[in-house]
Amino acid sequence: MTRGRGAPAAPEIASDAAVSVAALEEVYRDCYDFESREVHIGGDVRRKARLCFIDGLVSGSDVAEQVIKPLTDPERFGAVTDAKSVIAMLLGGSVYVYTAKSRTKLGELAEDLLNGFCALIFDAERTAVTFEVKSQQRRSVEAPKEEKVVKGAKDAFVETMKVNTTLVRRKLRNAHLKIRQYKLGSRADTAAALIYIEGFTNEGIVAEAERRLSGIRTEGALTSSVIEENIVDNPRSPFPQVISTERTDKFCMNLLEGRVGILVDGLPLGFLAPGTFSQFMKVPEDHSGHFIVASALTLLRYFSVALTLLAPAFYVAVAMYHQEMIPTRLMQSMIEAKQQVPFPTAAEVIMMLLAFELLQEAGIRLPSPIGETVSIIGALIVGQSAVEASVVSPVVVVVIALAGIAGYTMPNQDMGSALRLCRFFLVLAAIGFGMFGVALGCALLLYHLSGLESFGVPYMTPFAGSEGRHLSRALLRHSMTDKKDREPELKTGDGGEAGL
Amino acid sequence: MKKAALLALALSLALTGCSPGLTIFSNYRHLEMIELVRTVTVDSSEDGVLVGIYGTAGEEQEARMYEKSGPSIGVTMNELTLRPLGREAILSHTENMLIGEDLAKTRLDEVLDYVERFSEMRLDTGLLIVRDGTARDLVFGLAGEETPASDVVAGLDQNIARLGRGYVFSCREIAASLAQNGCALVQCVRGEEEEKLFEKRGDLNLAPAGMAVMRPDAAVGFLDDRETLGTMLLLGRFRSCNLDIPVDDAVFTVSVDKIKPDIEPVFSEDGRLLRAEIRLRAEANLVCMDGLADVRSRDVRRQAEEALSQTLRSACEAAVRRGPALGLDFLDLGGILTRRAPLAMEDMGRPWEEVFPTLPVTVEVESVLMRTYDIIDPPEIGGREEGTPWEKLTDSLRDS
Repeated sequence: MTRGRGAPAAPEIASDAAVSVAALEEVYRDCYDFESREVHIGGDVRRKARLCFIDGLVSGSDVAEQVIKPLTDPERFGAVTDAKSVIAMLLGGSVYVYTAKSRTKLGELAEDLLNGFCALIFDAERTAVTFEVKSQQRRSVEAPKEEKVVKGAKDAFVETMKVNTTLVRRKLRNAHLKIRQYKLGSRADTAAALIYIEGFTNEGIVAEAERRLSGIRTEGALTSSVIEENIVDNPRSPFPQVISTERTDKFCMNLLEGRVGILVDGLPLGFLAPGTFSQFMKVPEDHSGHFIVASALTLLRYFSVALTLLAPAFYVAVAMYHQEMIPTRLMQSMIEAKQQVPFPTAAEVIMMLLAFELLQEAGIRLPSPIGETVSIIGALIVGQSAVEASVVSPVVVVVIALAGIAGYTMPNQDMGSALRLCRFFLVLAAIGFGMFGVALGCALLLYHLSGLESFGVPYMTPFAGSEGRHLSRALLRHSMTDKKDREPELKTGDGGEAGL
Repeated sequence: MKKAALLALALSLALTGCSPGLTIFSNYRHLEMIELVRTVTVDSSEDGVLVGIYGTAGEEQEARMYEKSGPSIGVTMNELTLRPLGREAILSHTENMLIGEDLAKTRLDEVLDYVERFSEMRLDTGLLIVRDGTARDLVFGLAGEETPASDVVAGLDQNIARLGRGYVFSCREIAASLAQNGCALVQCVRGEEEEKLFEKRGDLNLAPAGMAVMRPDAAVGFLDDRETLGTMLLLGRFRSCNLDIPVDDAVFTVSVDKIKPDIEPVFSEDGRLLRAEIRLRAEANLVCMDGLADVRSRDVRRQAEEALSQTLRSACEAAVRRGPALGLDFLDLGGILTRRAPLAMEDMGRPWEEVFPTLPVTVEVESVLMRTYDIIDPPEIGGREEGTPWEKLTDSLRDS
């Protein structure tokens, strides 16, 4: 196990149990869930040990049945007189717990308690034996809620890391699948796991992931942003640079592509690195449906990116500066509709974009049934009523709705949010500079994206920084019967050639 | 990144060449304040020119007309487009430009010059010459209560094609032809008083009136309908038209849908250009018939095909004859022959201008009547065979 920087140094355990308990109690001072009690070994009141645990993290019945009951049994421990023999028996399996550890340091002991262990402290031997008796109160594995597929696995990650690693291990039954554990956060001590396939995943990427995970400076890794922003190459970019997924099959597929995975205790998500732009255009369903349909849908998603980014900006540019680009009949309709609207085109578009964002935000924050109602009423009000009241032109509503709907086709919400943000900037550029502004905005956006890297892999690969022959891999989904190349930038151990 | 962004921004501000003003901001127009000009007229006047713009502010709005006279088109147009009645007229959607015959005869180059120089005008704006009157009067006569003159003029393009009576060349095509051949063809129109089909249209109807053969500063001549048809056939501008052809006691109206002209030079052994051979293959379908004739009969079809060939041949010959008569190669035969045999044309020893007036031109036309649309004359699958189905049936019965 590797510890992140900033973790507290573990003090040595006290020479006697009482002092040890006192030291432990000092560590857990003002913690009402910390419990400590005496246990008579073999039922003999002269032979005492301290049993400590944190209530809630351990299963009470397991402690009673699997630790206390055998430990106080005279038939089992009545003949044993010295503590060393008791410790040896405990570590040898005389109590019914599958994990038992000998601890001589207070820090390790304190950490075990936080991880759902109970501790039996022997004052004379300056030793504690800890038993894993975790509480089984956890959310069960359920179907993914955000990344739904019709034909595909129905298990999603949960908040418990061990369950998540089990789900991954079940899908990738391979001894080379390595799961390295880390502790993140100087105060929260959150467990995290780095997962990769040894000998296959590029060692450079693994080493870089290790370095970045170890270098996380935080008090607690309780949210996904803590992980993402600490490990990505350019945290100031709004574009996601690591793939986050709740789907175990997607997680495993990417491990098989040569990426490293990161799981964090408490987060029902898996992170995958490196994350490239083309990966954010793919959904797990692509691998479930027919490859021609999947390819068409992938192309549609790329078209949606252009539409959601450019539609409002393009409209603003042509309506304000380049009227000659609009067909005559459409232009006549637009002029006709615009004559009743008191606001200039720029204000109309900005207002509608903001209204769209407000509706979306309201729909997300409110409980599901109310959220849907708000969305429907909002759409009616903002759309139909606003047009009828001549607050906005119908064309503006159509353009903004089109851009919004196109944005919803993004498989990754983070990518969708980044595109929405860029949409605003492009609209502002169009307001200021017309089509020149749109072109300039697009150029800057491409410049930014082309400069991004994720764990040493160009973000825009294979569109930039790669050979053109790999373009089809990003734009299309090849048939499963075809031998295909992996992303060459991932430099996998098999030379980049996938088997059938 | 910041430096690059600032540099790019600075460069964008320098992109002012496409704008008439200092910065691109000067292109900004309020959509609701735009007057969309669709037709422009230019006539001669005492001051110089009389310019009229005709457009709408919206689809449902009535068409508006503004006119002004001035010394030149550019100056007058500038004053005219400067927010008439508080609106800003934009010329980028101008579909057609009508110029009076008087002005066309002397100042066509000025009209073309204005269209080419003024960045807002589209080079593919159609140019038409109004014969026997002024463009202004024609447009006023065309406009009805609910029929904008612009729609009538815009619809002319299709009508001309259906009638086979011309082609509306754009300003770009006319200017290019003037530059290359020293002459150009311009579609002519006139207003005709016809019975109104419905009350809400104007008093006049727009009718094609042949084509004008123009030099930059003069109208050299005008082509009649037959010459115009031949010109369209030879220039490859022909799209589709209906022609009436006499067959026995009936008159067939055939739709000529496909024309493939082939113009080839014939040289003597010593390299002299002997003649130009024009071969045309026309495919037509029977649309309707006035009178009685057995359209299933092989003989009747042959007669119809011959009659059609004769009609097309005479049109082509008339067009070919008109060029030397006017002293202008408006069909660009020189260009076509040079493209067919560039080396031979270069080696023939005499300049094309000398050869052209006396060059014999032969015209051969092959016409095929594809379908009669008779109920027992279905389309042939796998190629056309001799004889109608009825004839084939009777032939096979006779043989058996």
